[in-house]
Amino acid sequence: MVKKEKSKQEEKEKHIDFRDQISRNKTKSVFLLIFVFIVLIVLGYVIALAFQLAVFGLLIIATLFSIFYVWITYAFCDKIALASVGAKAADKIMHRSLYDAVENMSIASQLPMPRVFIMPGKQINAFATGKDPKSSVICVTEGCLEKLNKPELEGVIGHEMSHIANYDIRFVTITAVVVGAISIFSQMFLRSLWFGGGRSSNREGGNVIFLVIALVLAILAPIIVKLVQLAISRKREYVADAGAVEFTRYPPGLINALKKIEKDHEPLKVPGAVAPMFFSDTTKQRLAEMFQTHPSVEKRIKALGAM
Amino acid sequence: MALWALFIPLIIIAVIVVIILLVWVGYYNRFVVLSNRIKNSLSQIDVQLKKRADLVPNLVETVKGYAKHEAKIMKEVSDARKMLVNANASGKMDSRIKAGDALQGALGRLFAIAENYPNLKANENFLQLQTELSSIEDKIAYARQAYNDSIMSFDNAIQVFPGNIFAGQKFKSQAGKYIQIPEAERAPVKVKF
Repeated sequence: MVKKEKSKQEEKEKHIDFRDQISRNKTKSVFLLIFVFIVLIVLGYVIALAFQLAVFGLLIIATLFSIFYVWITYAFCDKIALASVGAKAADKIMHRSLYDAVENMSIASQLPMPRVFIMPGKQINAFATGKDPKSSVICVTEGCLEKLNKPELEGVIGHEMSHIANYDIRFVTITAVVVGAISIFSQMFLRSLWFGGGRSSNREGGNVIFLVIALVLAILAPIIVKLVQLAISRKREYVADAGAVEFTRYPPGLINALKKIEKDHEPLKVPGAVAPMFFSDTTKQRLAEMFQTHPSVEKRIKALGAM
Repeated sequence: MALWALFIPLIIIAVIVVIILLVWVGYYNRFVVLSNRIKNSLSQIDVQLKKRADLVPNLVETVKGYAKHEAKIMKEVSDARKMLVNANASGKMDSRIKAGDALQGALGRLFAIAENYPNLKANENFLQLQTELSSIEDKIAYARQAYNDSIMSFDNAIQVFPGNIFAGQKFKSQAGKYIQIPEAERAPVKVKF
């Protein structure tokens, strides 16, 4: 009885801990997104100053177009993602353990039951998609079913469920729009320099300074913003890991799954566009962390171990 | 110009009032959502408890065919089930949980005894019921956890500043009314038979 009481106490302490971690990560993500927006506004403003306002209007049209384009993609994201990896709907009887794991996580997270899909591939990996929790989809690889035991599978599903709960799919899409808009801004500006070069001699001296600032910004902004986007993506992975622990109350499950992924050297061939959606890096290439969509497995394990 | 300037304080006041109203509406809706979540998670537990009670007669029938002598444990399971059905009818939450736990304990002992009957263990129907019941046991554990979580987020939302300002008597009286249920002990790795 005493032992029970004690473990309950520990459970309670853990409770506050991972909740803290989730909200802290959320705040950081919001700050990063605000930063990206500020870069967008400053860049647009400086370009508008360097040129006439008519060009600014053109940039706005370009932005609206890219938002429309991404909105369409977002509306069909589940169908596009599932089709591009060749996923098939899981069978409730044949894939009973998978269904149970998803149902358990859906009960624990109090979210509607997602549709369950399986995609070919020996690598341990998974992804979630769908516009909102009501139309969500969870897709796992065949490797997941073969190599993971129950607590590990629940950890991975819990991670994906947490992406759904945090509206990460929406967040990632919006970030992609803004980052895309910035790169369109910069491209249009740099190109227009070639064509508009002759006219600039007619302008007042003030514009030259802004022209130089705009030039520097147009080259640097897309790079900086891309790095910020990657940083946001990595933060969201930590949030989802913390969420998985909130749902399973069992960090070793996810830790062991990550350890198995680390030892797993199976490649997974998926289109580049959907690769960032996955539970872990699909390519297993060794890049500096700055350029990666996911934190390293060691760092994720370390963060989980601290909970 | 002077006339125009007169309206500025009025506009500022109007904007402030609208903002406060919007925040109040936002909080009100949040409290309603959170309190509905408690009710919803409670019904989740009931759904699983009922599913389990429905499977028990089938299980008892199957076991009877192989282990006639184990009358004591069979009676124990049947009694626990009866208790759960009665508790469901009476409607008290803690008695339902207690009855559910009693049934779970009795089933655990039944499955332990079943180990001594190789023919029973090989029975297709028995195996299926066993998987089904162990999966329900997991779901009850997760549903309890979700119930406790939803109580905690409701209580927090109402007691923590600035939510406590916007929570009227209606919600404040609800805070702390719900009692957490002890979480089921979850074995790290479930043994599969």
